[in-house]
Amino acid sequence: MKKIGIFTKAFVFMSMLIAGAGFFLVPSAGAQISELRIGIGIDADTLNPQEHTTTLMQNMSDLINDTLFYQTPDGKLEPRLATGYKVSKDGLIYTISLRKGVKFSDGTPCDAKAVKLTLDRAIDPKMRVPLRFAIAMIKEVKVVDDHTIQIELKYPFAPFVPTLSLTICSPISPAAIEKFGEDVRQNPVGAGPYILKEWVKGDRIVMVRNENYYGSKPTVARLTFKIVPETATREAMLRTGQIDVCYKPLPSNVAALKADPNIVVEMPLSTRTIFMGLNYRKGVTQNKMVRQAFNYAIDKKAIVSKILFDTAVPMDGPVSSILFGYHKMGHQYEYNPEKAKELLKKANFDFTKTVSMRTPQGRYLFDQQVSEAIQAYLQAIGVKAELRTYDWPTYVAGLLKPIEETELEVFLLGWGPLILDADMGLYGQFHSSVNPPKGLGAAHYNNPEYDKIMDASRLEQDPKKRLEILKKASEMVWDDCPWMWLHVEKFVIAYSKKIKGMVVTSTEKFYPTYIKME
Amino acid sequence: MFQYVLKRLLSTLPVLLGISLLLFFMLRMLPGDPAQVLAGQMASPDDIKIIRHQLGLDRPIFIQYGFFLSRLARFDLGRSARTQNPVIKEIWARLPNTMLLAVAAISLACLFGIPAGIISAVRPYTWIDYLFNSMALFGISMPVFWLGLMLVVIFSIMLQWLPAGGTGSWKHIVLPSFTLAAFVVAFITRITRASMIETLSQDYTTTARSKGLKERVVIVKHALKNALIPIITVVGLQFGLLLGGAVLTETVFAWPGLGRLIVDSILARDYPVIQGTILIFGLLYILVNLVVDLLYAYIDPRIRYA
Repeated sequence: MKKIGIFTKAFVFMSMLIAGAGFFLVPSAGAQISELRIGIGIDADTLNPQEHTTTLMQNMSDLINDTLFYQTPDGKLEPRLATGYKVSKDGLIYTISLRKGVKFSDGTPCDAKAVKLTLDRAIDPKMRVPLRFAIAMIKEVKVVDDHTIQIELKYPFAPFVPTLSLTICSPISPAAIEKFGEDVRQNPVGAGPYILKEWVKGDRIVMVRNENYYGSKPTVARLTFKIVPETATREAMLRTGQIDVCYKPLPSNVAALKADPNIVVEMPLSTRTIFMGLNYRKGVTQNKMVRQAFNYAIDKKAIVSKILFDTAVPMDGPVSSILFGYHKMGHQYEYNPEKAKELLKKANFDFTKTVSMRTPQGRYLFDQQVSEAIQAYLQAIGVKAELRTYDWPTYVAGLLKPIEETELEVFLLGWGPLILDADMGLYGQFHSSVNPPKGLGAAHYNNPEYDKIMDASRLEQDPKKRLEILKKASEMVWDDCPWMWLHVEKFVIAYSKKIKGMVVTSTEKFYPTYIKME
Repeated sequence: MFQYVLKRLLSTLPVLLGISLLLFFMLRMLPGDPAQVLAGQMASPDDIKIIRHQLGLDRPIFIQYGFFLSRLARFDLGRSARTQNPVIKEIWARLPNTMLLAVAAISLACLFGIPAGIISAVRPYTWIDYLFNSMALFGISMPVFWLGLMLVVIFSIMLQWLPAGGTGSWKHIVLPSFTLAAFVVAFITRITRASMIETLSQDYTTTARSKGLKERVVIVKHALKNALIPIITVVGLQFGLLLGGAVLTETVFAWPGLGRLIVDSILARDYPVIQGTILIFGLLYILVNLVVDLLYAYIDPRIRYA
C-alpha cells in the first residue's frame, strides 16, 4: 500500500486557489434576481448525479450538487469542493484536498467520508451508474483525514483530475442517502448553489438558492426549468418573454433569433463530433483507399452551411478543436470527387455492389438529412448506396454487435467527450479495446501500433510530451480514415438580452448562478 | 341496471388481460435493448448487463410476464425503468392534465359542433350549411401540429394574448383545447347534421309540426332528442381517443399529459410505463363506452339493460 510519504520531488502539485479566486470574488450585492425561467426540451429522469446520461441533467445536478473541480470553458481547472491535488510519480495515487467547512444543504458536513461514500457508490457494480466507464480507472478511495482523500488507480490515467470535474463525482449528502435510499434520485441533496424546491413531472423543475452555499451568494434566487418539448414553442416563449433562456433552439431559426434585438444567441463549439463510421474490418470499407475516397467525395463545408445553418464546423482533426490534444491535420480531405473516383479505381472498387448506410433519426441535429446528403455525394461518384433510417433504440442495438455479426458498413454517429481532453475521443472510439461489443467504437478500428501510442498517452504525465503523443495518434487515425470526418457541433443557447454574465461551456452546459439582469 | 354495470365492469378484466398479453409480448418484439438506451451511448457492456439484470430483463420472457401479472393483481404496475418511480405515480402525475385537456376540448367541440350540425340540418344546402361544412372540413384537414403552431404565432407572438405553452392558469388551456377541438368538432358537426336531417324527415317530426308546436320545440325536443344516439356515440369515441391521442397537441403546447409520457417511454423502451399507460388508456376507453351505453338508456327509454 502506498503512502503519501513515498511521494518524491517529482510530484506534481497543483494549487488552484489562485486560479479559482475569481469564483469567490463574483460580485453579488445589489444584483438580486427573483427568478430565471429556462425552457428545456425534456424532463429529468433522475437527479442523482451518478445516474445521468444527458448533459442537461448533469447541468442541473451541477447546480444542486456542485463538483469537486470545474473545467472552465477554456479548459482550465478551477477548485470547487476540492481545492488541490498531488499525484504520485507512477501516476497511480492521487491525493485530493477538500475544501474545509463546507456543508450539504441539509447541514451534513461535506467531508472526506462523504466524498469517499459518493465515489464508492459510483464504482460499486451493483449501482446503476451509466457513465461508470469514465471513472473505470479508480481502484480504491481512502480517507486520509477529514479533508483529504486518496484515490488509487488501476492504471495511470493522465487526464484523471479533469475527470474529477465530472458530475458523476459530485458528492451526495450521506444523510440523504440514509434517509431516502435510492429515492435520493428524486430528492437530491448536495453542496451546490441551489436546492431542489419542486419537481412537477413533465411540467417544471424549480430550484431555490442555497443560502448556506460556501461560495458567493448566487444572484438568482429561483431557477425554474420549464419543460417545453417543441422547439418552436420554446422559441416563441422566449420571444414573448414567458421564458428567459431557450435551451437548444432549432439551428434553422438561429439567424432569426440573432436578428431579434432582445435576444442573445451563444454558440460555443461543442466537444461532439459527428461522423460516418466506415467499417475497418468488414465489407468494401476495409480498403483504406475506399475510405479515403469516401472522405474526398463529400463536401463538408456545404453540409455545414446548407443543412446545419452553420451551427457546426467541418472537422479538421479527429477531435474537436477545443480539446486538449487536438491538432489540426496538415493534410485535409477537401471536396474532390475526381480524386475520389480515382482512388476507387485504384482500389478496384466494385461499382455494382450496393453500400449499406444507416442513420438514426432525431438523435443528432438533422442526422437524417446529413445522411441523405452523404448518400447523394456517394452516388455522385458512382457508388450505389442504400440508406436505412432507425429510431435510436433499434439503431444502437445494431451498433453493438461484434465484428462476426455486424452488418454495418457506413453509419452515422456522434461522440461527445465529457471532459476537455482528447483521450475520450481518440481512445474511446479508436482503441481496439472499445470495439463492439466491449464499447461503441463501431468502426472496429484495430491498429496495434495506434493502441500502443494511446496506451503511452495515458501513462505520460508531462502535458507537453502527452500533446506530442496525441498528435502522433491523431495523424495515424486521420490517415487511416475509419470515419468520414464530418463536423463538430456547436452548442446553441438563446437568452434574453437583459441577461449578462451567463457562463456557457463547450461541454454543452450553462451556469446562470452569477448572472446580472439589466 | 346495477347488474348490467357490474357485468360490464367484470367483462373488462379479460379484455385488460388480453391487452396486457398482446402488449407485453409485442413490446418485447421491438428491436432495441432498454438497458442500452438507459445506460446511454458511452456505457460499458458490463454496466449495461447490470442494468439489464436490475430491470429483470435477463429472465425468461414467460417468467417476466408472470411477475408482471402477479404485480398487476396487486394493482402494482411496477417501476419505471427510466425514473425508477412507481409507474402509477408517473401516470397519476399526468392523468389529471390529460383529463382536463380532453374534457375542455370535447366540451368546446360539442358547444360548437352540435349547434352547427343542427343549423346545417335545418337549413340544408344554404350558405350557412356550406359555411359550417367548410369549417368542419378545415378543422379535419388541418394537421394538429401545424394548427397549434399557427395559433401560437397569432395569439402568443403577434397578439400576445395567450401563453404559448405550459400550465398554471386558465389561459394556458385555451390554445391546446381549441387545437384539439378543431379536429373533433368536424366529426360532431357532420354526424349531428346527418342524424338531424334523418330525424327531421321522420313522421313524428311532421306530427309534432302539424300539432302546431313551435319550430324550436320540434327541433330540440323531438328531432334532436332522437338524433342524439349517434352523436353521443361519436362524442364518446372521440373523447376516448382524446384521452390517449393528444400527443402532438401536448408536445406543441408543453402540456404535461400522458401522451408525451407514452411517446418518451416508447423512445426509451421503458416497458413498465408503456404497459401501465396503455392499460390505463384501455380501462378509460372501456369506461367511456360504458357511460355512453348507459346514456343510450337515459336518452331513449326503449333501451333497457338487464
